[in-house]
Amino acid sequence: MQTHFSPEQLKESAIERSNDILRACVHCGFCTATCPTYQILGDELDSPRGRIYLIKDMLENNRIPDDKTVTHIDRCLSCLACMSTCPSGVHYMHLIDHAREYVEEKYSRRWDDKAIRWLLATVLPYPERFRLSIYGAWMAKPFARLLPKKLRAMVEFAPKSLPPVSKNDKPQTFQAKTFQAKTFQAKTFQAKTFQAKTPKVKSKTSERPLKRVALMTGCAQRALNTEINDATIRILTRHGCDVVVAKGSGCCGALTHHMGKSDQARATAAKNINAWIKEMDGDGLDAIVINASGCGTTVKDYGHMFKNHPLEEDAKRIAAISKDISEVMGELGIEGASEQGQEVANMRVAYHSACSLQHGQQIKTLPKTLLQKVGFEVVEPKEPHLCCGSAGTYNLMQPELSKQLQERKTNHLKATNPDVIATGNIGCMMQIGSAIDVPTIHTIQLLDWATGGPKPRELNDVIPEEINIKPRDKTKELS
Amino acid sequence: MSSVLIPDDEAEIAEIVSAAKSNNTPLHIVGGGTRTGLGRTVKAQKLLSLKELSGISLYEPGALTIVAKAGTPLADIEQALAKENQRLAFEPMDHRPLFGSKGEPTIGGVVGGNISGPRRMISGACRDSLIGVRFINGRGKIIKNGGRVMKNVTGLDLVKLMAGSYGTLGVFSELSFKVMPTNERQATLVVFGLDIATAIKTLSVALGSPFEVSGATFIPHQDENGDASKTLLRVEGFDSQVSYRLERLKELVQKTIASTSSEIEIIEGDDHISLWQGIRDVKIFSGTKHQVFKLNIKPLDAIAISEAISAEMSTKNLDTKTLYDWGGGLIWLGIEDNEQGQDKVGQSANSHVQTIRSIVNEYGGHVTLVRAPKDVREAVSPFHPEHQIVAKLSSCLRKKFDPAGILNPGRLGADPLSAIAGGK
Amino acid sequence: MPMISMPVPNVEIMSRRDEIITALLSALPAEIVISSESETLAYDCDALSAYRCSPLAVILPRTTAEVSAAMKICHELGVPIVPRGAGTSLAGGALPTADSIILGTARLNDTLEIDLENRFISVQSGVTNLSVTGSVEGDGFFYAPDPSSQLACAIAGNIAMNSGGAHCLKYGVTTNNLLGVTVVMANGEVVKLGGAHMDSSGYDLLGLICGSEGQLGIVTEATLRILPKPEGARPVLIGFNSPKTAGTCVADIIKAGILPVAIEYMDRLCIQETDKFSGAGYPDVEALLIVEVEGSEVEIDLQLARITSIAQKLDPAELRQSASAEESALIWKGRKSAFGAMGQINDYICLDGTVPVSQLAHVLERIGELSKQYGLDVANVFHAGDGNMHPLILYNANKEGDLDIAEKFGADILRLCVEVGGCLTGEHGVGIEKRDLMGEQFSANDMEMQMRVKDCFDPKWLLNPAKVYPLEVSKERRERLQNQMPNNGESSK
Repeated sequence: MQTHFSPEQLKESAIERSNDILRACVHCGFCTATCPTYQILGDELDSPRGRIYLIKDMLENNRIPDDKTVTHIDRCLSCLACMSTCPSGVHYMHLIDHAREYVEEKYSRRWDDKAIRWLLATVLPYPERFRLSIYGAWMAKPFARLLPKKLRAMVEFAPKSLPPVSKNDKPQTFQAKTFQAKTFQAKTFQAKTFQAKTPKVKSKTSERPLKRVALMTGCAQRALNTEINDATIRILTRHGCDVVVAKGSGCCGALTHHMGKSDQARATAAKNINAWIKEMDGDGLDAIVINASGCGTTVKDYGHMFKNHPLEEDAKRIAAISKDISEVMGELGIEGASEQGQEVANMRVAYHSACSLQHGQQIKTLPKTLLQKVGFEVVEPKEPHLCCGSAGTYNLMQPELSKQLQERKTNHLKATNPDVIATGNIGCMMQIGSAIDVPTIHTIQLLDWATGGPKPRELNDVIPEEINIKPRDKTKELS
Repeated sequence: MSSVLIPDDEAEIAEIVSAAKSNNTPLHIVGGGTRTGLGRTVKAQKLLSLKELSGISLYEPGALTIVAKAGTPLADIEQALAKENQRLAFEPMDHRPLFGSKGEPTIGGVVGGNISGPRRMISGACRDSLIGVRFINGRGKIIKNGGRVMKNVTGLDLVKLMAGSYGTLGVFSELSFKVMPTNERQATLVVFGLDIATAIKTLSVALGSPFEVSGATFIPHQDENGDASKTLLRVEGFDSQVSYRLERLKELVQKTIASTSSEIEIIEGDDHISLWQGIRDVKIFSGTKHQVFKLNIKPLDAIAISEAISAEMSTKNLDTKTLYDWGGGLIWLGIEDNEQGQDKVGQSANSHVQTIRSIVNEYGGHVTLVRAPKDVREAVSPFHPEHQIVAKLSSCLRKKFDPAGILNPGRLGADPLSAIAGGK
Repeated sequence: MPMISMPVPNVEIMSRRDEIITALLSALPAEIVISSESETLAYDCDALSAYRCSPLAVILPRTTAEVSAAMKICHELGVPIVPRGAGTSLAGGALPTADSIILGTARLNDTLEIDLENRFISVQSGVTNLSVTGSVEGDGFFYAPDPSSQLACAIAGNIAMNSGGAHCLKYGVTTNNLLGVTVVMANGEVVKLGGAHMDSSGYDLLGLICGSEGQLGIVTEATLRILPKPEGARPVLIGFNSPKTAGTCVADIIKAGILPVAIEYMDRLCIQETDKFSGAGYPDVEALLIVEVEGSEVEIDLQLARITSIAQKLDPAELRQSASAEESALIWKGRKSAFGAMGQINDYICLDGTVPVSQLAHVLERIGELSKQYGLDVANVFHAGDGNMHPLILYNANKEGDLDIAEKFGADILRLCVEVGGCLTGEHGVGIEKRDLMGEQFSANDMEMQMRVKDCFDPKWLLNPAKVYPLEVSKERRERLQNQMPNNGESSK
């Protein structure tokens, strides 16, 4: 499209970038076909093309954003389905992120809106605070009806239970208390919470580990679910990797970044970068493994986030070795363990492709292939490209739209008649899991189980069709 | 002044029509005169014959395009196409057997009546093969629309409007078609002895298969000669393609009728050709006294509709004969009325039409009275009554194209609005 | 300055803006009326983004009843309406004027009836083209017209433009696959045309509506023919170093009685650019044909054998049959990403003229000459089977004057198409893009006849009035309303 930025405007690097993006857009409208909000609302303004248009107008004219423009921008899920669809390579993600930053800077939100966003930005990236807020939500539940809409949505969305703090990702306080780094030797895990296990798979006996990887332990995920990291650590160590939980690492910055609070986002991201660079320059890292795909997309984009910033080079180095756990397992190669072979083969897995994984990171078939490789029956719901409505904090900020998408997704999933639903992102797990009777767990938990790990406890009540199940082996249970 | 005008070219037609408009002289536009039995009688003394406007102006087999003057005999066109192993995909019906008319059908007449045949079901009607028209409207103006290329969406599509307009909107001078290749081999699978419900369902299953069935017809059993019913599936293509398709269709049919004992035959060669010509031209009514109706319906509705009609007709002690084409989507219905005397014939024809139309109206579709004595066609509307808004639009269009009402007046009824009343 | 002008917005209507919006809001739910300036902005153009103008307001109805109510009011108030499908038109079909109201069909997205036995599907007109096939492909059927924008384009737009696609050589275009519509007239009256049966009774109004570019009525529901999916399909890649030979190859294939389901053509520039992005591995040739045939494995082999022997007689530079599904996908990948690939490196105008197949080589040669004359590159990609060309004129939107040159160049190409016996537009429609060239193809009488037809459907000329016919030609009719309004334009409720 034609753009109308002045030479002065283009001197600013963010505007220059956005200009390039806008110029790539030919206004063809293909993106509308896969945009979840356009499907629901049927309004050009709630489609990527319309948003691009509004953003273009806003930036070109250096306008103070008006309420309506902000509403439409806020409604964007950042699911990035449009990027998968766009035939012209428009980098919508960078554009919408810039727009959010711009809005955060120039638009005066209503006091309650501001307050909620402040609350989310202050609480979610910090697991301890997050836990506290969940306890608060439990207490507020009886009074939920009296709360304003968005707060009510948050209270209702709070999970019914929380796992105990895992020693495997030791909590760190907001005050940047140093975190004890733990290094896990290949095949055995030293800390007392796990039983040492001799893997049934052909062991990769070697003096040195195949890979040395850092595990990003994340933030919200840690509070909500500790099994994912546990499973990740198990499967990686089982396949010959040393897993480092680097001292000083934590939230990747995605949540605050998507709210347009880019300085805050960079602050938390910088901690990660420094922590991991230290490891890279220390004992070395082959990869940074991320098992929350929402975070993975952000970390892989650190180069852009830190453009023209002193940490730019380091950010690029980090981004270059960041991988989703499925990518790493794909590289390592996996096989099904014979012991759980029958159970696995009888299990039908509906694979929910998280937006951040399929669109953000363009990893579409690998997780399915891996699940099939270890023996699961894998099915996919209709409209697999469509977001479940979780989208970071979207389910809290846009409860009505989120609910509609949630319903649509869970209906499609139910229709495949699965025994379990697998996905690569904690947000999706919560969103789908809370609205469907089928156990919804992380892909890595299934892969871990199938390659020799313990059966995920969520599957204990599942009785797939033709199966001759043995009673659960209690010695394998996590304590 | 002669009562037959035979222009040599387009310009002459324009002159004739202009003059006719000024003088308010209605014209009866005629090609080969073989289909004048369709619709109502034209209320005009002067005949405008297109027989001198004959000849193929352009034929490019590699582009699947043929352009011919409106008075070109259909046979000439078909012959030219056959030489290059091509044909008009829509398989136009020859009305001479039905009407007992003489003459040489022209391409203009085919378009004027949107005349198609059994293959219409898969290959589209005449109007779907028609890609360009040149005509003279009722003001004497030469108008063109469409052209000689298949992909053409420039401006309003008057090509479709002109097809089936029975000469009431303009006099064709030149017509352009997209043609299709013929096929190396044609064959028909015949299943004997099915009842109508099984037959229609079987045809539907076959038409939902990937075997490109190009003809799907059900001929009910004939009481007179005791012939079993015939369910027909035509396939065309390269030699091995046809063998493959016949084989697969046979399996499919046997599975659908849940029996391998029904007699199944394959017909090819001359028998095949004459079979389909017979269906195309509805030869079952050739030389008979039946009033013939055409019912365009949703294919599966043929079962219920035929049942309802049988029930009605049996109460009136009338002999009916039917043919189901297009998988059931086209019912040819003949009613042999034993009433004597013009008035009674007219009245009973009227009531037949009302009865059949009211049955079809319940299901959706329309009924055309194709063959009946002249006065019957004056007494009832040969064409299905239109919704008020549609009638208004049709009437308006007629006036725009032919303000003086000189082109084939009366052919479609005195005025479309009168058709609503269902009669006079 | 872009070449195509739009009529000056009617000052009188603009002055009644508030009153018009109030009237709409009194009869329609508030959530379907958009009137704020910041929001109407997003509707100021379709995929022909060089031409933009914010409408007076936007209405997004959800039902036929709402469409009817909206149109009734606009009719009473004398406000022009510009219908909009998915806004993917490349011809500016949905471009509003400042005094007009956009009526979008995006919310009319229900599927109404799927009848596999009778082989039709009924949908509201806002559903996307591809989703129609999506609804029936699980049962072994598909909807044939497949424009390249099928992922996003709406059936409403397909009907308005009589859209085609790569499959139309064998299966026809929208008008050959449309069985019935529910259409709302300019005055709000609702009428059904056609249905699940074949052939119309009386005049073919359905055929008239299809391709009428939103000027005769707004279609809210459509009954579409669905066809059984073929057992399989496979492409073959044939490369030539002479466009003429490529054209001969196409003609020879057709003359041999083979009807491929698609024959696509790409020229060297197109091949080079798309290969960079798609990695399809096309050969470096002047002219590339992708020919696809359908049927069972055996039938496909048979047809491809015949096609390859025909091609071989012409000594092709490359002849590549696909041996697997992956290879087939790869062969198509380049073609399907052609426009996108071009878009990544350049702005472009995509033309849409049709030429007789026999004229392809000559036209390509002429386009080459014009390209040198105008100093702009052209990449040619098109449906060789039916001669529908899509020359992509590459220019720079941010370079002053470039669009002008590109448009002049485009106009010359379209004139050429008409000159050799083709037409201005094969599937995109006239919209505004080819409006001013209508006189190249039609005489004054021809256009007058068409406009008289519109007079029957929309006597007030309120539906998409500034499209299709050159402004001078339609002027009297467009302005007729102002001249006829009682009280000289003052509102009458």
